[in-house]
Amino acid sequence: MRWTLAVASLARHRTRTALAVAGVAIAAALLLDMTMLSSGMRESFRALLLRRGFQIRLAPRGTLPFDTEATIPGAADIMGRLRTITGVSVVSPVLGAAIHIPLADRTITSFAVGNDARVQGDYELVTGRDADSAGDMVANAEFLRATQRGLGDTLRVATGYDPQLRAFSGERRLVIRGEARFFYLSAGQSAVAIPLATLQAMTGAAPQDRVSLFMVKVGNDSLVEPVRRSIQRSESLVDAISTADALSRVDARLRYFRQLGAILATVSLAIGFALVTTLVSVSVNERIGEIAVMRAIGVSRQHVIQQIVVEGAVIGLSGAVLGLALGQVTARWLNSILAHFPGLPAAIDFFLFQGRAVWTALALFLVISIVAGLYPAWRAGSLPIARALREEAVG
Amino acid sequence: MTAVVMARGLRRDFRLDDRPSTEVVHAVRGVTLDVAEGEWVAIAGPSGCGKSTLLNLLGGIDRPTSGVVAFRGRDLSTLDDGELTRFRLTNVGFVFQRFYLMPMLTARENVELPMAEAGLPRDQRAQRASELLRYVGLGARERHRPSQLSGGEQQRVAIARALANRPVLVLADEPTGELDARTGEEIISLFRMINGDGAAVIVVTHDDALAAAARRVIHMRDGAVVASAGSLPDDGVVRAGA
Amino acid sequence: MGVNGLRLDYALSRGHPPPMLSIVILLLLQAPLRTIAIDERLAADAGLAIGDRVVVAATPGSPGDTVVVGAIVHRRPDPSEIARADYRVYLHLDQLQGLIGYGDRVDRFAVATPDTAGTTRAIEQIDEAAFGFRPWRSRDIAVETSQTFRVVSRFHKAIAVITIAAGAIFLLCILLLKVDERRRDVAALRLLGISRRSVVRAVIVEAAMVSVLGSIVGVTLGWAITALVNAYYQAVYRTPLLFAVVTGEIVAFAVTLSLVLGIGAGALAAMRLVRASPLALLGR
Repeated sequence: MRWTLAVASLARHRTRTALAVAGVAIAAALLLDMTMLSSGMRESFRALLLRRGFQIRLAPRGTLPFDTEATIPGAADIMGRLRTITGVSVVSPVLGAAIHIPLADRTITSFAVGNDARVQGDYELVTGRDADSAGDMVANAEFLRATQRGLGDTLRVATGYDPQLRAFSGERRLVIRGEARFFYLSAGQSAVAIPLATLQAMTGAAPQDRVSLFMVKVGNDSLVEPVRRSIQRSESLVDAISTADALSRVDARLRYFRQLGAILATVSLAIGFALVTTLVSVSVNERIGEIAVMRAIGVSRQHVIQQIVVEGAVIGLSGAVLGLALGQVTARWLNSILAHFPGLPAAIDFFLFQGRAVWTALALFLVISIVAGLYPAWRAGSLPIARALREEAVG
Repeated sequence: MTAVVMARGLRRDFRLDDRPSTEVVHAVRGVTLDVAEGEWVAIAGPSGCGKSTLLNLLGGIDRPTSGVVAFRGRDLSTLDDGELTRFRLTNVGFVFQRFYLMPMLTARENVELPMAEAGLPRDQRAQRASELLRYVGLGARERHRPSQLSGGEQQRVAIARALANRPVLVLADEPTGELDARTGEEIISLFRMINGDGAAVIVVTHDDALAAAARRVIHMRDGAVVASAGSLPDDGVVRAGA
Repeated sequence: MGVNGLRLDYALSRGHPPPMLSIVILLLLQAPLRTIAIDERLAADAGLAIGDRVVVAATPGSPGDTVVVGAIVHRRPDPSEIARADYRVYLHLDQLQGLIGYGDRVDRFAVATPDTAGTTRAIEQIDEAAFGFRPWRSRDIAVETSQTFRVVSRFHKAIAVITIAAGAIFLLCILLLKVDERRRDVAALRLLGISRRSVVRAVIVEAAMVSVLGSIVGVTLGWAITALVNAYYQAVYRTPLLFAVVTGEIVAFAVTLSLVLGIGAGALAAMRLVRASPLALLGR
């Protein structure tokens, strides 16, 4: 009967109930999004870093990977030493550089990754084959679109441009062998992968055997931290960054969004609370006579309180369920905005859908709705029956 | 005859607000009375004489400032709020001037409400609710909401609700106050039936016809009982005495 | 000698008096040191002050130049630097060129002109000359490099849209409830002979007053929270950048929106009430 009464009370004033549910839905959507934001970035970035199983990255000392133009000399020697460390299973050297593609009417500038296709962790091949030979390259869809070229085409690729002479330097003719999806690019960025030795020769990094970064795979996850420490001790030119390190540094950069997320989550809970408590309070005030009669005919105080709390909970729960659906839509919208954040890979999802986030948001809203109804419910259950009946008769 | 409800030296004072200097209204002043099992008593008097307040005290809706109310020998002041609520649910049926039906429930659901509170299973209470509505002549209207019923029909539903848990005492506060004379007659017949089936009835009323239908009339003025008679005398003068 | 001289130099700068002869030799052999400027963040983190000597080098561990900290500069309120923990060091051009082996190269020139017309003329002349590089207006570069700020700004606007929607519905709901609560008052007024129009007008005035009062409280609260947000994030990111600003336009927008919504909701609710008969409002 309590559920019947609660639902019937809400159905009595459809407009206000619908508005309250809509308000709670938007607040719940915001709460869900902010819950997804706080855990999503981290989880998404972690998954991205571990995409190909490389747990440690070595960058020039004092920098983050590809944060500056600094490079690490003596790549082959370093790789040799790394392979002797217990636990290290794969070492992938990477050189990054800007390249220029002179076309008939314009020049395209792109990002180039020089690596060893056998052990690379920068991309996955979509079609075609890998850049196995010195004159090969693989490119992403954005590059192919910008250059209007396809698999099998040959391009002039240069790494330097002399403005005085208006001439390109470090030029080679490379054949597009495959199309690839690069993991760590920003939105819309065009990129190619070229064999490391070829790119080193083009950029003048060959004599000193320079690379921008090493990626290291450790066979056993429990050995990651000991291996990292060992590298950090023995290699003075590099900083060894584990996935956990990288996450905490990204955390620091994205702290603003996490804090904003926490603030907005609190605001949304406050809005939901205020909406439910106001609606229930007004509803109780309007029904003083009915409530007094219920108490007079023998309905217990607890049951009156329960009925009113149920009303608040029904609004909160319906709003929260609607809000979950709405939250998915708004999360996609917000994610599409943040995908253009510079310096972060476009593959990162800021709003990662996780079951835990959904249940947390639902549970929080249910609790808030119940708590919001408690005070007006307690007031209703405690009102002096005779006085309420008298005031209703007079009113 | 044993008393179903007994009052001794009942007083009920009201302050207009919480300040100590505020005027105190003595709504009920030292009322003593007994109502026997199965008796029909009317409480009459001018507006503001304390009739409704007395009814509330007898029914356990309100607590007296001093004095005792006992139901079948049990002092109601010894009951806490929960016990008092339970007492009302199982022993007393209330009928109000303004009906006070739940507007969002059907007639049958309104009658079921006290039974649901008493823990009666759904099928049993549905069956009894239908019986009660037939008893009050509304068997065909059980699915109607209060807004779809006339004033007289709403009061019948309220009476059916009051009878839901087979109370031994029915308290009615101006039950015909908002009804026309003819409808009022129908309600009086219902009370006659209820009393005839064994329930004690106490009504507060301005309605001469309703007062006349009662076995005993208690007259009040300024919070005190001034007369208690078998019926109103023809000359309308209140006389003190049993 | 150089290394010992450095250590002694360091000791000198720290106020430990060396033997007299060493001081004379040092004075005779040491070339005057060049100065650099560092940003306040680096100064704070490394504990550097004006007059301190440091070594600047192109790569870790390689020999570099010993220089003196000649100035400490404030950070610019640049949104693109917000989340980066970079330090800034300013060297004389020739020194940096020598340090990193750049030869006589630079990344860009910055050109100041007296006015907009002068900028246009300069751009045209530079374009015509065969220098092999392109001139850009500073304004256009700023647009290109402010991507971070634009993304954050769009994100904020999206959040604002969502919170405004929630707030608007909340306001509508509350006002509907409040007006509905007054149904008996409205019924009594109508029974007394007060016209529908007068009742609606009275409710609208009330709704407008609530909206105005609420707006004043809201703007004050917003201003206080803005001050708190700026103080906090300026400390966290160590930047003079303002993260939140309450402008006249924002205040005007917020007040207008709350007034429109408040009055609209009040009017809607009032018109609903006066349409019903007074007796129906009283539940008869």
